[in-house]
Amino acid sequence: MIEVQGLRKSFNGVEVLRGIDFTARDGEITGLIGPNGAGKTTTLRMLYTVLRPDGGRALVDGHDASLDRLQVQRRIGVLPDNRGLYPRLTAREHVRYFGRLHGLTGAELEARIDRLVDRLGMADFADRRSKGYSKGQTLKVALARALVHEPANVMLDEPTNGLDIASSRAVRDLIREIRDQGRCVLFSSHIMGEVEALCDRIVVISDGLIVADGNPEELRQATGHGNLEEVFLTAVAQGGTVVGAGGDRA
Amino acid sequence: MVIVRNIWIVFAKESIDNLRDRRSLILALVYPVIGALLLGMLVSFVGGMFRGQSYRALSLPVEGADQAPELINFLAAKGVNIRLAPVDPHQAVRDGTADAVLIIPDGHARDFAARRPAGLEMVVNATRLSTVIKVSRVVEILREYGREVGQARLRAHGIEPEIASPLNLHSINVGRSRNLAGFFLNMLPPFIIFTIFVGGVYLAIDTTSGERERGSLEPLLANPVARWEFMLGKALATFAFTLMAVLVQLLAFKIMFEVVAAGEFGIKISPDLTAFMGVALLCLPLIGFAVALQIIVATVSRSYKETQTYLGLLPLIPSLPGMILVFVPVKAQIWMMAIPTFGQILLIGRLMRQEPAAWLNIAVSVGTTSLITALLLYVAARLYNRDQMLFGA
Repeated sequence: MIEVQGLRKSFNGVEVLRGIDFTARDGEITGLIGPNGAGKTTTLRMLYTVLRPDGGRALVDGHDASLDRLQVQRRIGVLPDNRGLYPRLTAREHVRYFGRLHGLTGAELEARIDRLVDRLGMADFADRRSKGYSKGQTLKVALARALVHEPANVMLDEPTNGLDIASSRAVRDLIREIRDQGRCVLFSSHIMGEVEALCDRIVVISDGLIVADGNPEELRQATGHGNLEEVFLTAVAQGGTVVGAGGDRA
Repeated sequence: MVIVRNIWIVFAKESIDNLRDRRSLILALVYPVIGALLLGMLVSFVGGMFRGQSYRALSLPVEGADQAPELINFLAAKGVNIRLAPVDPHQAVRDGTADAVLIIPDGHARDFAARRPAGLEMVVNATRLSTVIKVSRVVEILREYGREVGQARLRAHGIEPEIASPLNLHSINVGRSRNLAGFFLNMLPPFIIFTIFVGGVYLAIDTTSGERERGSLEPLLANPVARWEFMLGKALATFAFTLMAVLVQLLAFKIMFEVVAAGEFGIKISPDLTAFMGVALLCLPLIGFAVALQIIVATVSRSYKETQTYLGLLPLIPSLPGMILVFVPVKAQIWMMAIPTFGQILLIGRLMRQEPAAWLNIAVSVGTTSLITALLLYVAARLYNRDQMLFGA
């Protein structure tokens, strides 16, 4: 479970996050959606421990991401905004490196790598060095290394960004599969259709504030729009008014 | 144990990654050999120059040879080939078309006959090192002639020539080749220091600025490993490549000295293997120092290019004192040992010249450099912990 409480962050005196709260539950897919520059990536970065908040807390399974970094890091799998690979390592070596950093070894680790190579359709390039990989291949490696330790909480920053239709669908299937295993998925996107198709819960962030939070149906009702895109635009335009059911769940 | 394991995983990954990189390998394996090759060529060249000149027949352009036929005969008898002087002797020597020209001025025959000091002019170019031996041989022959004529004149007056020679001076050359070898041995420390600051530099850049610029740093830092463990793993890989470069260079120097000693270049001094091993051990803390500095610079630089620029300049600073010491040797003081690179330069010099080094000096050098390295690594760990680690600066 991922909890964000009153989270604040400034860069060079500019307040990027102005105190946001939301929760992403286990067994659910939570979509963090908002216009470019709204604060999605910054929020995720504080949750996956690479940035420290100026105020508030980012919690993963109850552990504070800035005070208890290692505990949080053991419980998360991350596809960050930056998903660069090492050009001289093969796909398998990438996944093995991250698996080992999570304490996995030997036959157990190799079996997991094999499973991911199989599941993500990486067989034809898994033993080739990553220099020259396509965008889709790169993303698959980045996903595999994020999931090799089977984390209870998965955070994905714009996972389908720049992918073709087939690859996007494969990623969406994978996200659902992780949810169905009872794990917590938090992902960010600015593609409304994707969020609508995937999410159990939508958190709309705009200009450093949460402007809507609820399941898709609740959001439609609260704004009186049948179309989620309209919901999104209304929420962003109203700025600062929280739409929807907040933390309550039916 | 978990900590050691994490550091080892990072170290192993960075090492394998960079063993596959041509640039890293060239810096670690090829550059150090080039230094030894250059020095070897220099030794052969200079050695050959000195040797060649002392055996080759001297040829000397002379102007106004008809003024002093006896002197010319004397020179010829000493094996000097007398040649016709160029039209403008000064210009010819300045240009290097002639090594030296002897001018016998117009009044010479008259003064000589009248037993007054008769003028002679040697036109030389003191800035051309290669002519020094030739000129000094000619001057020596001319002095000898002057001595003989003077003694003959004294005898003609019934005076024993010894009266005019109150001193009997002999200079004993204890070995030109030995001094020359010492000069070359003094050039080793700057080469070694340079290698220490360059051998692993590509890893320092690749594993920090490179990782950031590729966008692989962010996913890496989300793994359950403390930032300082990442830093130490990367520093260790950089250390290993630098050490490899230093060992390759020491081996190349050893081979170079053996080859040069085997050839007839007049340079016979080759430090033994224990001296080289001593140098390697002495360099370990300094390698740590260089690596820690490189990691810090790579961490605070904004981009790959910026890091490359700064780290390209870094080796010049510590190499400078060594370069100066080649020409102006100083007496080692204990406080000098406390300065990283400076103490090592002095101690490497002593080891290479097979001179005894005081244990206290070694202890001070190793101790202070290690301590400063530990402090720098602490600073690097703090820098790794900042938010800015993700973006640079």
